[in-house]
Amino acid sequence: MSDETQDNKHAPNVTRRRFLTALVTVSGAAVAGTIVVPMVKSLDPTAAAAALATTTIDLNPIEPGMQMVALWQEKPVIVVNRTPEMLATLDETAQKGLLKDPNCNVPQQPPYCKNKYRSRVPEWYVGIKICNHLCCIPHYRPKKASVAPWWLGGFHCPCHGSMYDLSARVIKGSPAPHNMAVPEYDIDVEKKSVVVTKMYPLAHLC
Amino acid sequence: MSFKEWFVKRSPLPEMWREHMAEYYAPKNFNIFYYAGSLLLLMVVLQFLSGFLVMAHYIPTARDAYDSVYGIMYDVHYGWLMQYMHVDGVSLIFILLYIHMARGMLYGSYRSPREIVWIIGYTTYLAFMAEAFFGYILPYSNLSYWAGTVITSLFKSIPFIGHWVTTLVRGGAGMSGDTLGRFTALHVTVVFLVIVGLIVFHILYLHKVGSNNPDGIEIKANKGPDGHPVDGIPFHPYYSVKDLFGFGVWLTIFAAIIFYAPTFHHIFLERTMSTPANPLKSLPDVTPPWYLSPFYAMLRAIPNKNGGIILMVVAVLFPFVLPWLDKNPVKSTRYRPITRIMLIIFFINFFVLAYLGEQPPLPKYFFPERLGAVIYVAFFVLLPLVSKFEPTRTPPARVRFRAH
Amino acid sequence: MKKYVVWAGMTLGLLANASGAFAADNGPKMLTPHYTYNAKTIIAGAKLFATDCMACHSIKFMRYEFLTQDLGMSKADVHKYIMLPTGSEFKGTMVSAMPINMAHKWFGLPPPDLSQMVRYKSQDWVYTYLLSFYRDPQRPSGWNNYVFPNVAMPDVLAPYGGIVNEHGKVLRAGDESPQKFKEQVTDIVAFLRFVSDPSVVQRDDDGPWVLGLLVLFTIFAYFLKKEYWKDVK
Ligand code: HEM
Ligand code: FES
Repeated sequence: MSDETQDNKHAPNVTRRRFLTALVTVSGAAVAGTIVVPMVKSLDPTAAAAALATTTIDLNPIEPGMQMVALWQEKPVIVVNRTPEMLATLDETAQKGLLKDPNCNVPQQPPYCKNKYRSRVPEWYVGIKICNHLCCIPHYRPKKASVAPWWLGGFHCPCHGSMYDLSARVIKGSPAPHNMAVPEYDIDVEKKSVVVTKMYPLAHLC
Repeated sequence: MSFKEWFVKRSPLPEMWREHMAEYYAPKNFNIFYYAGSLLLLMVVLQFLSGFLVMAHYIPTARDAYDSVYGIMYDVHYGWLMQYMHVDGVSLIFILLYIHMARGMLYGSYRSPREIVWIIGYTTYLAFMAEAFFGYILPYSNLSYWAGTVITSLFKSIPFIGHWVTTLVRGGAGMSGDTLGRFTALHVTVVFLVIVGLIVFHILYLHKVGSNNPDGIEIKANKGPDGHPVDGIPFHPYYSVKDLFGFGVWLTIFAAIIFYAPTFHHIFLERTMSTPANPLKSLPDVTPPWYLSPFYAMLRAIPNKNGGIILMVVAVLFPFVLPWLDKNPVKSTRYRPITRIMLIIFFINFFVLAYLGEQPPLPKYFFPERLGAVIYVAFFVLLPLVSKFEPTRTPPARVRFRAH
Repeated sequence: MKKYVVWAGMTLGLLANASGAFAADNGPKMLTPHYTYNAKTIIAGAKLFATDCMACHSIKFMRYEFLTQDLGMSKADVHKYIMLPTGSEFKGTMVSAMPINMAHKWFGLPPPDLSQMVRYKSQDWVYTYLLSFYRDPQRPSGWNNYVFPNVAMPDVLAPYGGIVNEHGKVLRAGDESPQKFKEQVTDIVAFLRFVSDPSVVQRDDDGPWVLGLLVLFTIFAYFLKKEYWKDVK
């Protein structure tokens, strides 16, 4: 054994070291991945949450012209039983040019609700009652002239005054950019029940 | 000015890197036992991560605790992985702690100038016992319930204030959801932070005086012309790559346990952990987890309540004074055959006590338990004498090392 | 290197011994079920469990959907063989339909949840328990059990296995041969073992990959270490 320390004796094989370092780094990153990926996945919604993911709403108690709110995944879901007169206002708002997005081009609703009713069945509006501006809960204001002299019925948000028609399409001059979101749901008109299944992934809640 | 210069100018990190990694000179003759320290660091980090993720699903109430803990396994994606990592991790940490401490005893690492390193380390071990105990209670299984009841009632033996302390710890007359609340808080905040702080100081104090080695000779006594110990090598890259290899081996073992023997024959995860707390039905026999059972065996060895508790406390505290019990100028037991034999008997005895502590409290075990307690205490009592008079071999002038 | 192999061998040996040593068990001698632990036996057990046990016992941590995800049962089969005809949700938990207060009335206490029973008592215990019922006119239920004296549960498997008295005398032969009956009990045990740790499927699937990756990493790290340590004289 000599008294010198390492390094001065032979030149290290730099390429080999680089190559081995690369191998160790890559496989080490893969090892870290096998730990980190499950860790992040473990924060996904649990099976218990998934079991609570759908909600069934009974339509029987909702009289024409009335509405009902159910809590679904910590969010209010509103169901409105729209009368023919109320449905007629939907054409009127569009014709008067009051709406930002009358044809629902922004995918705030599943494709099967991309129509002026924004619903599967014209009478029954099913939507999430959360203002597209900053997440407040708008009031349901079905009576004409109840918010302004020209008001045809719809939703009015107490926070910053966003206005929506009876299909929750946003009215020009509101701070909210888009129509209110509609979740995915199934409706059975004969059995009078709605099953809300999940959020429509493209829709922006607020 | 490049960003690097800008950053380096105002950062302590490069200096810390040099001090603790690139220019920390460690003896070149570390053997396999020296992996345990870095593996403990790795395990503490993994324990923190898995703990964070099981905590995210845990509800500390008497009604929901058990269901929420087992819900992790059934309902959370990869919940079983987080849970088994956390449960099996505890046992692996204690295995490493015992290897790490045994290493220190074999090579005299507790001796001057590393007394404080030893004391901080041993305090960490005690903090881990507390951390493990609090964690044990959280699932609120029947084992949790009765282990919690038995251990907290030990405090009753404290003179005068025992009763008050017990109630304070439990948050009531007995175990309840309130106990869970405070144990959860202790487990995830105070005790955990104490452990982290102790580990940091453990390493800082070690790096101040430098590492010992299996030959027990001070490498700093023999410096080369460059001012570095001739038998020292920079921690980085030599020991960092070596420890990386150690990580690989250890993680392979860890993964094999998690995937193929997650309860490890119900040693790492006891059967009674899988049934909810039942205040009306005590366990067939309350035995502690394997890593605490040597002390439990000593508790049972004495047929007198307070006597047993005192013996246990003394046994737990004895290692603190170890640095001052050893009088021999030679550190490593490589050159002290008698101490080495005593140590080996001490280690085997510790294993036997662990085994005995797991047995049901039958009279046939009393004698071996007492014998084990005597051997345990005798080691510490005899060490000052033996170390003073034992014959030693002369340690070499330079560390023993064969180039690879 | 050779030294380390010897060390590893010794450690493994110690651990192997320790596992026996630490699991202290006393009490009546238990029988051991012999079976292959796979989806087939587990599913067979699940069907028996649903028909014969779930009237009283819940396994509230399990969800019906796990049977499809983990064991590959079809959703239709789960509906047909496992789920109660009334009011259970596919994503819901497997809870018994028996109301708790009825249980109190009939048995004096609610039947325990069996989710972790095998993990708690061991599969040998569950197996032996199910095979240890005998007729006992003294008991309110008419049944007693060797490993669980004065048990409140009746022998629900008697139609398959037959009825014996305290001394093992056959009072009524079962519909199934003793051979077949033991197989059925074994299947139930396999199912309950699965229920007490359903992660076994994912662990077996992922284990080889994770271990393979770790071994690869270890090999690379070993060569890197060797390369650097050439410097150290
Ligand atoms: C989680 C707990 C612990 C961690 C993370 C830890 C970490 C470390 C590390 C990284 C080293 C340097 C590497 C080595 O020498 O192996 C070390 C050295 C040391 N540790 Fe610990 N340790 C812990 C617990 C303990 C305990 C419980 C004791 C003793 C009661 C202890 C006593 C020592 C001693 C004496 C040294 C110096 C060894 C020598 O230089 O020969 N440590 N520790
Ligand atoms: S949140 Fe509704 S208008 Fe701002």
